[in-house]
Amino acid sequence: MTEPRLEDLLRPLAPQVLGALVRRYGHFDTAEDAVQEALIAAAAQWPADGIPANPKGWLVTVASRRLTDLLRSEQARRRREDEVTEQVLQSDRVASAADAAADYADDTLILLFMCAHPSLSQASQIALTLRALGGLTTAEVARALLVPEDTVTRRISRAKQTIKESGIGFRLPSKAERADRLAVVLHVLYLIFNEGYVSTAGPSLQRPDLAAEAIRLARMVHGLLLDDAEVAGLLALMLLTDARREARTGPGGELVPMGEQDRRRWDGVEIAAGIELVDGALDRGVAGPYLLQAAIAAVHDSSPSADMTDWARIERLYDQLALISDTPVVALNRVVAVAMARGATSGLELLATLEADRRIAEDHRFYAVRAHLLEMLGRADAARESYEAAATRTGNLAQQRYLRARAARI
Amino acid sequence: MKFMISTYATQADYDAMGGKAAADAEWTPEDFAAMGAFMESFNRELDESGELVETRGLDAPVHTRRIQLKAGLPVVTDGPYAETQEVLAGYWIVECASFDRATEIAARLSTIPGPESVQGRAYADVRPIVESRAELEG
Repeated sequence: MTEPRLEDLLRPLAPQVLGALVRRYGHFDTAEDAVQEALIAAAAQWPADGIPANPKGWLVTVASRRLTDLLRSEQARRRREDEVTEQVLQSDRVASAADAAADYADDTLILLFMCAHPSLSQASQIALTLRALGGLTTAEVARALLVPEDTVTRRISRAKQTIKESGIGFRLPSKAERADRLAVVLHVLYLIFNEGYVSTAGPSLQRPDLAAEAIRLARMVHGLLLDDAEVAGLLALMLLTDARREARTGPGGELVPMGEQDRRRWDGVEIAAGIELVDGALDRGVAGPYLLQAAIAAVHDSSPSADMTDWARIERLYDQLALISDTPVVALNRVVAVAMARGATSGLELLATLEADRRIAEDHRFYAVRAHLLEMLGRADAARESYEAAATRTGNLAQQRYLRARAARI
Repeated sequence: MKFMISTYATQADYDAMGGKAAADAEWTPEDFAAMGAFMESFNRELDESGELVETRGLDAPVHTRRIQLKAGLPVVTDGPYAETQEVLAGYWIVECASFDRATEIAARLSTIPGPESVQGRAYADVRPIVESRAELEG
């Protein structure tokens, strides 16, 4: 039982140690490798030698020494190969000290912004965030993402190369950029959560829990930006979704729709924490997409049964969400909310207005929703036809089976 | 008047002090502890006599950035020193009665404990500090 406790101690220290190194020595790319090696050394030595009195100090010392070694051999190699090691000092690195001091806040946040830099590919952002911020080893990241270790190594080194070449300094983005950059950070965390939540494939015992990791990171960001309603919203959305995890799959691993889930298996602690976050954040003014989705999840999670769901409130929340988040999924979910709140006929009327949008009309979910509403109205033939139309538009076999089973059940 | 006393070391010296086996000098933990104790008492005495203005040690040469203007642009080079190049390792700013007194102080540094091979080639420099532009131009 000592192993998970060691991890719990080590992993939150990862970004702090990396931050300390990069502040003092620069070289984000090499420093990240050095920290990774220090973490591995700690995981190997501490169980035998005992945990040092100052774990963070130990890691900083070991990582600094390792960084010095790595830089030495790098510099020696460059000199041997007579490689040019110069870079032009970019004007944005010559910032005024006063400006920098005002936001000297937190290394962890700076690292998050670096790892989720818009110039990196999404796959690289995720891999680098999990390693540099989450303190996962390359092998663990690979297992978590169900990709080969080489792939993760490549994604991380490519990401670091990009960071190096674009001369991204170790500092918070300017106030003007902050909102856009934070949106990318949150999106990366959301993708990590989804990756853990959606995929049920793979040897789950061996697989680090990405949903839990995403929640841990979101909690960290929330701790740093307590006043940000979207950060609170994202954390709440994760908690309120994760709360239903146990009830989400049946004994055979099949997906159980929310309306049919055994709500006694929902996690009351996560639900309470999620609802508290939503309530607190909603009081702070205009709600963004994560907070609205969390608010919708909160309505579901606080309803004692599917029948008692406050669909009128969900409809109002989707109305707001549709204004700021113009995606097929939001539009179709809004149709479902309208149908549940005001009846299937109202839902079908709204659905008809979406048909002109090609993005939606080609989506299998459009036909699945229509089939469902037709079924509610007792129009069996039309419903079966729509289920079939939906099934032919999805490549996912589990979904095809589900849709055809629904059609057969009518 | 103020003087600067400076000491020098190579990257290899730093590595050796960090406990890494080196070609010509092996620092044992005892050597290192003895050097630390020497420096502490050296600094304390200077402080007590009122002659110490400031003293600092510098991190390993590998952590050096050099900035030069090239084609009108500031250019940064990481790690400009060769492994064997002796570079500034630490300094003392002392305020004392004369160059001779500053030299006496610096001479004490020649007794810093350490491996013999290091003692054999270590040195300290003393230079008067220019206090103002007027003094420099005067």
